[in-house]
Amino acid sequence: MLQNEQEYIRILKNRLEGTLPAEDLEDLLSDYREHFRLGKADGRSEDELFCSLGSPEDVAKEIRATHLVKKAEHTCSCRNIFHAVVATLGLGLFNLVFVLVPFIILVVMLLVIFLVGVAFSLFGPAAFVYAILQLLGFPSFSIWLSPVAGIFLSVGITAVGFLLVIGDFYLARFFYRMGISYLKWNIQMITGTVHTE
Amino acid sequence: MSADMPNDGKKYCIKGFLSGSGTTPTRIILWLVAIAVVSFAIGFGILAVSGGFSPGTAHPNSPFTHTAWIASNTTDFPLDGATSGNISVTMGAGEITLNGGARDNILMEATVFSKSPEWQPDFSSALDNTTKTVRMTDKGHTGKAWFAVDSPNSWEIRLTDNVPVSLDVNIGAGDCQLNLGSVNLHNLNVHSGAGDTGIDLGRYRGGRFDATITKGIGDLTLKVPGSGNTRITVHQGVGDITGSGFTQNNGAYVTPGFNPALPVNEIAVKQGVGSVLLEMV
Repeated sequence: MLQNEQEYIRILKNRLEGTLPAEDLEDLLSDYREHFRLGKADGRSEDELFCSLGSPEDVAKEIRATHLVKKAEHTCSCRNIFHAVVATLGLGLFNLVFVLVPFIILVVMLLVIFLVGVAFSLFGPAAFVYAILQLLGFPSFSIWLSPVAGIFLSVGITAVGFLLVIGDFYLARFFYRMGISYLKWNIQMITGTVHTE
Repeated sequence: MSADMPNDGKKYCIKGFLSGSGTTPTRIILWLVAIAVVSFAIGFGILAVSGGFSPGTAHPNSPFTHTAWIASNTTDFPLDGATSGNISVTMGAGEITLNGGARDNILMEATVFSKSPEWQPDFSSALDNTTKTVRMTDKGHTGKAWFAVDSPNSWEIRLTDNVPVSLDVNIGAGDCQLNLGSVNLHNLNVHSGAGDTGIDLGRYRGGRFDATITKGIGDLTLKVPGSGNTRITVHQGVGDITGSGFTQNNGAYVTPGFNPALPVNEIAVKQGVGSVLLEMV
């Protein structure tokens, strides 16, 4: 049970320190102090104000998730989207299904495509060299049915490898944008509001 | 936010380099697609022309069938005055088609549908008085390429119709079709590990013969002439036996008018798993 306004602000501050920049955090806390001040001026008790705002833990979770999603939107990076997903998971247990599962599937899919692309990109040149050596009669055993065909096929495999890696990049970018939109929608659905900093 | 600046700078630097050199990501992708398509087209084209694709009956719609036919490789074994033949054909995996109708004075014509050295079987032949022995043996996977498209092992063999022949066919895995109606058989032994086997003796007019057919897994279709004096015994593990037109005689299938006092064509079938279809022609 909360004792007073200071405790509410203190919990909010503790939960958001390190997530929001100090200046933004101070602005946010000022807004909440102002909200309390105006509420008391209107004759509302602290308990009423606590009820209308919700628990400081939940409010901090919402603000944190919204902030991290926006941060991921502005600066594309694996770390940012990961933090945004983790923060969104904290909003509700059902997000394990609606956020975590799709996120893991997408990550695994992109990782597999990337690894296959890298494998092709590395295997192609190696197979190309082997085909040349096979043509010259150096290796003791053959890996290509026809070394001349092997030269062309290894070039094709290399090109497909590069295409997979490049395609994976564009696919990741597409899913990144889709993911941000989905996380924003998810937060909006859970909280019913969109927090602005 | 300031920490992001170096990355942005690097990104713009790469972009600037690409645009400065007249290269855009779209152009790179188009080039890679073109290189991949052309390389695969040429590579598979070379494989097809050099006989790297199987032309067997399992691939009737293969666009490479025609080119692979061009690449077939036929080896003849003349009779050399022999009055009987002893032929052994052993394949690890693939397809065997065996027919009669070899050219005059030729005991066996063996066609391998690839000119690649890796896919050529080992041949041996010897003449012992009046019997010519020919062995055709698959090398197995030793020395074969890893990246062969499908199994190019496809053999078509034609045997002489003019002298009696003892024939051994051993196939580990794969289908084999033996059309021996015109061949004069003395003995026939067929061993198949896995795969379907068809033996057509429908128009057989040769001398008496004994046959043993041993199969692991796969269906067997055996056609024999109704006019012959033939007895077929079947020992089967799992599967159906259909013997249309035959008469049951002491657990064996016999042709109509079967007379044990006359020369009998004895066929013994040992089947593990699979159906056995006995047809009378």
